Amino acid sequence: MDFAKETAHLAHTLLAVDSVSKSFRGLRAVSGASLDVHEGEIVALIGPNGAGKTTLFNMVAGAMPPDSGSIRFEGRDIAGLRADRVCAAGIGRTFQLVRPFVDMTVLENAMVGGFRGTRDARVARERAEAALAALHMQALADRPAASLTLPDRKRLEVARALATQPRLLLLDEVMAGLRPTETDEMVAAFRRLNDERGITILLIEHVMRAVMALAQRVYVLHHGEIISHGTPAEVTRDPKVLHSYLGPEEV
Amino acid sequence: MRSLFELVQQSPRRPRAALLALLVVLLLAPLALDRYLLSILILILYFAFVGQAWNIMMGFAGQLSLGHALYVGLGAYTAAALYQHFGVVPWIGMIAAVAVCVAAASVIGWLAFRFGIGGTYFALLTIAFAEFTRIGFDHFGWVGGSGGFFLKVTQQDRLDLLNLRGHPAMFYYLALALAVGAFLLSAWLLRSRLGFWFRAVRDNEEAARAAGVDTFRAKMIAVQISAGLTALAGVFFAFYYNNLFPEQVFNMGRSIEIILAPIIGGVGTLFGPVLGAAILTLLSEGLTEFLQAMGWEFPGVKQVLYGIALGVSIMFMPHGVWPGIAKRLGLGRA
Repeated sequence: MDFAKETAHLAHTLLAVDSVSKSFRGLRAVSGASLDVHEGEIVALIGPNGAGKTTLFNMVAGAMPPDSGSIRFEGRDIAGLRADRVCAAGIGRTFQLVRPFVDMTVLENAMVGGFRGTRDARVARERAEAALAALHMQALADRPAASLTLPDRKRLEVARALATQPRLLLLDEVMAGLRPTETDEMVAAFRRLNDERGITILLIEHVMRAVMALAQRVYVLHHGEIISHGTPAEVTRDPKVLHSYLGPEEV
Repeated sequence: MRSLFELVQQSPRRPRAALLALLVVLLLAPLALDRYLLSILILILYFAFVGQAWNIMMGFAGQLSLGHALYVGLGAYTAAALYQHFGVVPWIGMIAAVAVCVAAASVIGWLAFRFGIGGTYFALLTIAFAEFTRIGFDHFGWVGGSGGFFLKVTQQDRLDLLNLRGHPAMFYYLALALAVGAFLLSAWLLRSRLGFWFRAVRDNEEAARAAGVDTFRAKMIAVQISAGLTALAGVFFAFYYNNLFPEQVFNMGRSIEIILAPIIGGVGTLFGPVLGAAILTLLSEGLTEFLQAMGWEFPGVKQVLYGIALGVSIMFMPHGVWPGIAKRLGLGRA
């Protein structure tokens, strides 16, 4: 184990997922998965389709309880906590299949998140405007959410999560379907949020361009198990990873 | 009070002036109108009020109730029974009526939301509760059972505000106060956190939860506010008409009547319920007048008219009449 990894473990652990499992009708979606996210890090979770990435996310975000294992956020066990409580604890999430509030404007969508922990509409509005600005969406503020294109809906997912003032942001494939320039823009936005506001990010991503540019560490999930973990460079050289992504013949 | 002031202050200028002018006209209306015309205005205000109450639950929070007659009936019977049997003035009776209806709504809401019953099944649940309450009241001798429950009718020209006995003008101002109050409450709700929560729940419950909304609580509050307001409509109904029959107040048709105005006016909008109430009441009263003048008998014509109005509205203006008007006036979605 090299020095960088050693010190990473000494850093303050924000999220600690420990041997978490989840089955659906006997089918194991996630099986004994463990991962750590440290304060201020950007960590990616990658893996082939159906590997269980979104299921793992859903358990962290409180959308479903794990069958076993523990999930600690800032040292507190949040496994099985309701999604709104998880949000209140400081975790914001996006949905892979976007879920905008279609009969509300873009600003109002973000304001729903902005009301987290406050009744004051002005505070909610300021938070929402800041979140939209971080994603370069100010010009769309008064548009009905229903009128947005898919890339803009993806950005809105992020803005709404961001408006809840999270310490940890869970991003589920927010860059899928974006053009390369749009991807670079979003990567830059996440960098800034991470640098300037100290927001820790855990992202599921297929766009390797984004993973390589953003993530300090990568976990690889395959058939519900973490099969590899390390820096982006280490992981992409790992034979197990190549095997799972490309199939045995190619290696 | 402060937020009410801010609400008026923040509203766009021209529509605010128009609304204030309308309010002044409505305040002066009893001076110029005869009893018949006043009774039509009362009807419009009544339906605007219950429509607004229903709209908070369905239009804002997305929970479809097809059994709102339950709350009209429970509210009406509670205040009427307290008045008739114990001499409790309706102003106190109102509080009891609201309490009973909020309690009933809490039971229904808890059952539905705790066990994840939503959409059509929730609507069916609301019908079921209204229906078995109707049947229950048919056999509830203390308030007259199916034979009806009657309030003492006194001289109409003596004003007795405490007991809500008096001239139609008193009922008119009462209905106006209710309608204006519900309108202001809705306007305030749309800007408050609660209103954002409601609309988030309506549009996507899971996303709302992820954004920090306690969706169970939001839905419960929506149902409770809606039921509490509808209880007041029930009290008004009891003291205005002076007689209550379970077959009539708890009838499914009553529940449908309540939701027509907001649907035709525009579900989820602020002005929809008011506009819808005016359109429907004027249409049906106009038609009745016309048929009477022609000397034609046509039982059930009102229901036929409602059906046609609903059909036309859904075919040509699925979002109701108001959104189109709002667009023309440049008012956004209000």
